[in-house]
Amino acid sequence: MKKFLPLLLALLLGPAAAARANLSVTAETDRDTVSIDGNLYLTVTVSGDSHSVPEPKLPNMQNFNVYDSGRSQSISIINGRITTSVSFTYILSPRFLGVQRIPAITVFNGKEKAVAPEIQINVTKAQQAQAAPAQPAARRQTRQPAARQAAQGGAEPIFLKAEPDRRSAYPGEQINLSIKFYTSVPLSSNPQYVPPSFKNLIAEDLPPVRNGETELNGVRYAFSEIKTALFALNSGPAEIRPLTVIAQVPSQSQVDPFDPNFFQNLMAMSGAQGTSREFNTEAIKLDIKPLPAGAPADFNGAVGAYTVSASADRAEAKTGEAVNFSVTITGNGNLKAVTAPKLPELADFKVFDTMSSLDVRKEGDVISGKKTFTYILVPRTEGRRTVPPVKFAFFDPKAGAYREVRTEPVTLLVEKGAEGGKSVYFNPAAAPGPVTPSGSDIRYVKDLASAPALPRFAEGINALPAPLHLLPAGLLLLAFWLARLNRFRSANPLLFRFRRARGEADRDIDEAEALIKAGKTNEAVSVLYDSFMDYLSDKCGRKVSALTMKKATDLIKQRFPAAADRSLEEIRELWGALELRHFSPETAAAEGASDLAKKYALLLELLEKELRA
Amino acid sequence: MKLLALFFLLLQAAPAAAYDRSELAEFNDLYKTGRYEEALEGYRSVLAGDPANPSAWYNAGNALFRLNRPGPAVLNYSRAFILDPRSPDIRANLDYALKQTGQQLVPETVPAALHYVYYMLSDGELKAAALICFWLACLAGAAGFLLDGSAPGRAAGRAAAVSAVMTLLALAWLGGRVTTSPFSEGGVVVKQGGARMLSGPGENFKTYASAPEGRLVRILDAGDDAYYEIGLQKEGIKGWALKSEIELLTPKRTSK
Repeated sequence: MKKFLPLLLALLLGPAAAARANLSVTAETDRDTVSIDGNLYLTVTVSGDSHSVPEPKLPNMQNFNVYDSGRSQSISIINGRITTSVSFTYILSPRFLGVQRIPAITVFNGKEKAVAPEIQINVTKAQQAQAAPAQPAARRQTRQPAARQAAQGGAEPIFLKAEPDRRSAYPGEQINLSIKFYTSVPLSSNPQYVPPSFKNLIAEDLPPVRNGETELNGVRYAFSEIKTALFALNSGPAEIRPLTVIAQVPSQSQVDPFDPNFFQNLMAMSGAQGTSREFNTEAIKLDIKPLPAGAPADFNGAVGAYTVSASADRAEAKTGEAVNFSVTITGNGNLKAVTAPKLPELADFKVFDTMSSLDVRKEGDVISGKKTFTYILVPRTEGRRTVPPVKFAFFDPKAGAYREVRTEPVTLLVEKGAEGGKSVYFNPAAAPGPVTPSGSDIRYVKDLASAPALPRFAEGINALPAPLHLLPAGLLLLAFWLARLNRFRSANPLLFRFRRARGEADRDIDEAEALIKAGKTNEAVSVLYDSFMDYLSDKCGRKVSALTMKKATDLIKQRFPAAADRSLEEIRELWGALELRHFSPETAAAEGASDLAKKYALLLELLEKELRA
Repeated sequence: MKLLALFFLLLQAAPAAAYDRSELAEFNDLYKTGRYEEALEGYRSVLAGDPANPSAWYNAGNALFRLNRPGPAVLNYSRAFILDPRSPDIRANLDYALKQTGQQLVPETVPAALHYVYYMLSDGELKAAALICFWLACLAGAAGFLLDGSAPGRAAGRAAAVSAVMTLLALAWLGGRVTTSPFSEGGVVVKQGGARMLSGPGENFKTYASAPEGRLVRILDAGDDAYYEIGLQKEGIKGWALKSEIELLTPKRTSK
């Protein structure tokens, strides 16, 4: 089901999306110059990214009579993208000479508007007059009396006649209405045709306008014939209400309508010479018979003569992929009213919505064409899968019986689709195209919980107490001082030994006293002796233990002239005592070791004052 | 330098990773249905607990804009911009609101890319970046001193030098922003109809100009109890306006 969800959503949202479709319209004529007695084809093509596009609304054109000539639709579904193009064809019959304008044509789908620019048409004089400026005089002479003859004979010089080809028909059966406008006098312009309204009928124009000449009651008339196809909606009475033709009738018949130079002569006349006259027909009543009983189950009201065919856009597919399955109904009848045939039960396919396209032709005064219904089928299972025949039932009015036709079965080879295989997505608004901003506004609100991480992190950093940021500066200063100190120590080792001598000696005395308390007097004396030698060495900058006592005291005197003789004597006494105890440990009593430590401490006090750098 | 490049890359990526849905969604539903007053109240309640939430300021700005209050809208968008200047939505709406009041986010004489780079980091982020670089410089310097003479010591010394330069750059950037940005030491005219600019801090001084609602102004002096001295950079004029008619951009200094 998940696989089909996007498709389902797209189909559900289709109508909404259609409003955003990329709509465009173009209008073109088959020629830009037309004679006053000719016709031209106007083709309006509406394209969009939707399965249905709006019909163009033709502007009011007083300078042309406009007849609907049919439509042709193409619809394509490629990778889920629907594009539709419908060509509406109109036959335009000019009413005036000169440059005539087909105004801009607008289509609007409720949201989007597209405009085709106006077209200019040059309406020239009748080709007959142009091509044969020197028509035989005899012919002109034979026709000149016609108008006079009509006037003299009491016959109507201008009249209108409407006649259906039948007065009784089935609902949906084509009835052709012929409207003929006869004139035996020249007109200032081609007449304007105002179509009739209908009751219980719908109409389709059957262009082009036929022009000709005929003789009625001995009077020669020029006539224009307009045909309209009618289709009854329901059984019961139907009515063609009066129709109108408005013609500019000249007050004086100075131009013969059968004159080869009729239009030249006509243009030579001033507009003030004509008066506008309306010609109306009587209402025509029709009898619409009910359809006979016994309609097949698949009958949906189609009347006419049809064939049906079916095809798929591919012979091979994968499960989960969309296949366009088309059923085409071709034939004569009101195809606009034909509804989609119901597909048979398709257990192997998921069937989605249908789209229809319509082509209508009006050849031989018969409404014909084809209507194609495209179903989106998504194979559920793999293997050779068949779409059974599709039935289509209609009523054939000629035979007076119901018919049922059916398509050939369509077989598809379905392979297993890949996991997460491609599904069709209907995205009518996804067509690339220029984006035209129609306005501006602020952007929508956000659902985000809090500030991004970086601002939060920055906020946390900034919220730290300011004194904390002095810490790295303090560390830097400390490291700087330590580095300086280290460098100084490296550069002056003797000075550092000189300065440290007292401290180390004090630590040695403490150690010796601890040893004495522990009863280790020999070790205590050794510590004191070594400490005293180190102290003197650090102060003198030379290893004193390698000197004799005399040389050592001389060195001290030399290095520290301020050293008193008494201090030197104290040094010699302590040195001697320590040597004695150190090298004759058996004489070192505990009390004696303690005295030596005290004496050493006192001597240090004395020497620190006298042995200064 | 690689680390620096990585830092700026992460700078761009980090916001996306931090987002999740929030209580704002509840008030966004009110906004969605056109109940802007109620949505605004909700956004304000969020801001009361989390004044550093740029999304809440932004959403409040949207609600105020819908309520046709361009001044407070500009104020709220500006506060969001100060907190998260890289947000495209905030930039867009601030610019939109400024244009509605005859201003624009990016001055005409400044390339948009340069403006974006200049405001790539918020003031807070710049300050934090300066602090981090300062820490790095100090610690790397200390390591350099302690490992004096060795190869690691020399590397630490170079890192300390780079960090010190970065610190100076961040400080210079921050200093430049403080002196040139309308969002630093700035305020917004929130009074409907605009704010009067007096020649002194009191009613006995002459009114000689007015600043329209939504106008970004520079706060030159906030020392007076009732008046700010404000400057209009574009026009090059300054004057005194009632504090009740001007809201400061920096949320910490505002009275909510």
